[in-house]
Amino acid sequence: MNLLPVVKPVNAFKRLVEDLDPLLHERGRLAIVSVLAPVRELSFTELRNTLEMTDGNLSVHLQKLEEKGYVAIAKQFVARRPLTTCKLTKAGQSAFGRYLNHLEALVKQNRGGKGA
Amino acid sequence: MDARQAARTLEVIRTLMERTCQYQLLTARASLAAGILAGIGALAFLFLSPDVPANFGFVWLIVFAGSVLSTCIGTVMRGRERGEQVWSRQARAVVMALAPSLFAALVLTIYFFIRGEHLWLPGVWMLCYGQGALATSAYAPSPIRWLGVTALLLGGVTLWLGPEWAVLMMGLVFGVGHTGLGTALLVIERRQSYLRIHRSVA
Repeated sequence: MNLLPVVKPVNAFKRLVEDLDPLLHERGRLAIVSVLAPVRELSFTELRNTLEMTDGNLSVHLQKLEEKGYVAIAKQFVARRPLTTCKLTKAGQSAFGRYLNHLEALVKQNRGGKGA
Repeated sequence: MDARQAARTLEVIRTLMERTCQYQLLTARASLAAGILAGIGALAFLFLSPDVPANFGFVWLIVFAGSVLSTCIGTVMRGRERGEQVWSRQARAVVMALAPSLFAALVLTIYFFIRGEHLWLPGVWMLCYGQGALATSAYAPSPIRWLGVTALLLGGVTLWLGPEWAVLMMGLVFGVGHTGLGTALLVIERRQSYLRIHRSVA
């Protein structure tokens, strides 16, 4: 008879999945951050054309990212025409870096598990 | 999310990041056309004397102009095909990166022609081309980097070998080199179109 309580082993894989940033763990927002990460800034039009998103969809995602402080949006007039530019903030860069690390850890953990 | 999804997400992120900073309108067809033109240019000297500055200058000017034209046509066609802007931020970055080496090549070409030492130019052109290709490698597909390194090394070899090898080395570096680049780009294009079809089906 086993007197010891049954302890479920901590599932590191599951914990990693749960730790993924929920704001970035959405396809549209992740795509926006991925496109903004390697450049200094992008105009709203360039971002929309690159991601082939609708204006409304892109605006909603950008608003959410801006609220969290991941993206900075600047509106100005260039040659009398409105120009909206978006760039990743430092908080956004570190959140994106953490997200990538998490994904890499998930992949590595699975490889380690298979190898064992 | 499982590990396979995580790996796929990482691949998509990488593709998106490359799409933002890489100039992807360079076509395999344009590179192959440039390679064939350079090959024909080198073969033309079976009938023409490369020692005559007018022959040498005219043949390579036609090859250069033809290559630039085929690149422009290929780029515009690819831009229309994909519905992308041709004179994009990436295109401007590539042109800005190329400008110093193009300027250096122009100045040195005039200098060597004036001195009547035009047969030293192939080595100089290769060095300038290699430098230009490496300057654009941050924004261009990876085979460009390898072409740049090869052109730099063979440029040095060409100068070391001397004018007797000038035409042969031109055919080798710009003819075979561009054909190799075109083939590599063709493989990349095929793989990308396969991925697009695969994703659209999925």
